[in-house]
Amino acid sequence: MAIGFATKDRGGRRRNLLELVVMAVTAALFVLFAIGIEGFATPGNLGVVLSNSASLVILSCGMAVVIVSRGLELALIAEMVAGATTFSILINAGVGGPEALLLAVGAMALVGCANAWLIAYVEIPAMLATLASAMFVTGLVRYAVLGGEFLLLLPKSNPAVVLLSGDILPGVPAPVALMVAALVATGFLLRYSAAGRTIYAMGDNFQAARLGGLPVRTTTIVVYVFAALMALFAGLVTAAASGTVDFRTVTNGSLLFEVILVVVLGGIPLRGGRGGVRNIIVGVALIAVLRNGMTLMNVTTQMQDVIKGFVLIIAIVLDNYLNPRDTETDTAGDL
Amino acid sequence: MLRSLGRTIRAAVMAAALGGCVALAVGAPARADSDIAGKKVIFVPISMGISLTEGWVRRMRQHAEIYGYSLDIRDAAFNTGAMSELLAKAISEKPDVLVVHNPTVQLLARQIQQAESEGIKVLQINLQSNRPSSAFVGANWKRIGREVAEDIVKECGEGSGKSGKVAIIPGQLTAADSVIMNEASFAVFDAHPEIEVVSNQASDWEPEKARQITATVLQQHPDLCAIFGHWDVHTMGAGNAVKDAGKQDDVLVYATGGGESVACEAIENAVLDRVWSYDADGQGRDAGTMIDILLQGGAAADGSMLEIESPMKIIKAGDGFDRRQCWSM
Repeated sequence: MAIGFATKDRGGRRRNLLELVVMAVTAALFVLFAIGIEGFATPGNLGVVLSNSASLVILSCGMAVVIVSRGLELALIAEMVAGATTFSILINAGVGGPEALLLAVGAMALVGCANAWLIAYVEIPAMLATLASAMFVTGLVRYAVLGGEFLLLLPKSNPAVVLLSGDILPGVPAPVALMVAALVATGFLLRYSAAGRTIYAMGDNFQAARLGGLPVRTTTIVVYVFAALMALFAGLVTAAASGTVDFRTVTNGSLLFEVILVVVLGGIPLRGGRGGVRNIIVGVALIAVLRNGMTLMNVTTQMQDVIKGFVLIIAIVLDNYLNPRDTETDTAGDL
Repeated sequence: MLRSLGRTIRAAVMAAALGGCVALAVGAPARADSDIAGKKVIFVPISMGISLTEGWVRRMRQHAEIYGYSLDIRDAAFNTGAMSELLAKAISEKPDVLVVHNPTVQLLARQIQQAESEGIKVLQINLQSNRPSSAFVGANWKRIGREVAEDIVKECGEGSGKSGKVAIIPGQLTAADSVIMNEASFAVFDAHPEIEVVSNQASDWEPEKARQITATVLQQHPDLCAIFGHWDVHTMGAGNAVKDAGKQDDVLVYATGGGESVACEAIENAVLDRVWSYDADGQGRDAGTMIDILLQGGAAADGSMLEIESPMKIIKAGDGFDRRQCWSM
């Protein structure tokens, strides 16, 4: 525990500085768009910003927990699509919503366990293990389950789909409710659970945490199963909203890029050990405002990617400057 | 081009008849000129696993079986880098005909030229590169773009009482269909100042991106009159956003596509309103026929590209709707 607190005290001020910069940029963009773009600062549009961000926030919760533990989860989008496919196949086969959800949760927990086993027990670097896992899961589901198809259509009339895409309470869409639930679960895991304290310790100094007797292997399982479940819920939100499960989301790669962008921009350093729910919200806020403003301004998708890439480079450079490597953080397994 | 194809076919028939007479005179088999068994055809699609390409391949295989030539599929799985490599490998294998499905107008242009210069006949299917080759089979994107735009003008333009606001959702701005359809539809819209294109953002062919773009545009322009999606699959995401916003009676959702049964289901579910179908099933048969002709040595007399334009089916929601207008695997 002392390790985690020491890092937080020492690095806290600098971390907040990056967060403050991102928050200031978000606020400036918000004001700029509100003045310059007709229809931006309306309750309806802000509702759309929130709904459109739901899956990104849920995915970022999974990625944030992994990165705080000094890991990386490149299979996140593959798990998202595989989870949604499992659920959709079952729904289309006439299985009830709760049963389909339970089976999908089981399947994704299994994928998370497999990833964690490769990383914690076989000791393959997280980046390579999850990259291989992403390819394996995508290939397996596409060919064994979908018979080579790229797309799976989900009937919008199905009660489970209606529940996931409609309002769970008057004025509260299910995706937004799931997004809040994911943030609460992440906050609880990181701040109020024993596993959370171990996650920070692992991220701060993995060897010290291991030598100190912390259960780093079982915590790795918790981390990757949590990430896989977050991916599943993000997949359900996306599939229910668009009425499709689309494997090109994996091959396209831009969503994984956005998730990493959110986490880094929010102020969670890729070398782990720091950050929490607040950082996820800060990161998503900037991306969501930027994306919505650019769409309203009719900026082409390619140009949007250029701008987002530019923002990521600035954030990484700034992160490197504000959180310089030292002999303690610059160790094996670092990115 | 159809005329030139007709000339070619007539010439081929005449040649075959003449050849037949000569052959009969010397007692050799009459089908000497059209014996294409054992020849090699390679198809490099953008991706298998979608109804469009699966539909094409089903029909092409039937032709290959009838004539006894081989048909190899090299699936690029939506990976343009892999596609260039697969095409390079296919060229090195020196097939008799190479069938190419271009993701953009430029990506494979140089390789198409290389294949042609090495004597490999290249058939471009549905999406053209900016480099002509031996043959093209596919939709007339210019016509689709113009016709959809004219329909939008009729529904949203002067005298309709609507706002005239239109959102366009291409797949990729550099894809051949999007380039040509945008050009054709903007030519129509430019002549009608009451039509305002409020958004023209690519979805990367993804339904979820199309949904997010549409949800945002609908907030800024609640009086949006029409959406023109360049592919039915991603446009379904846009249609779902319209439906979720409760505007399915106010916003017309137009799309183009291969006309598989999924498109008709989308019309039945009020996700799409009007689909300009180029009938992928028919295109598959056209492609098969064109491969047969190319393997038999068919070529345009003036050396230009042989072309077969896919007949269109316009599938509209409403009284005249008949789901038999769509085909299924």
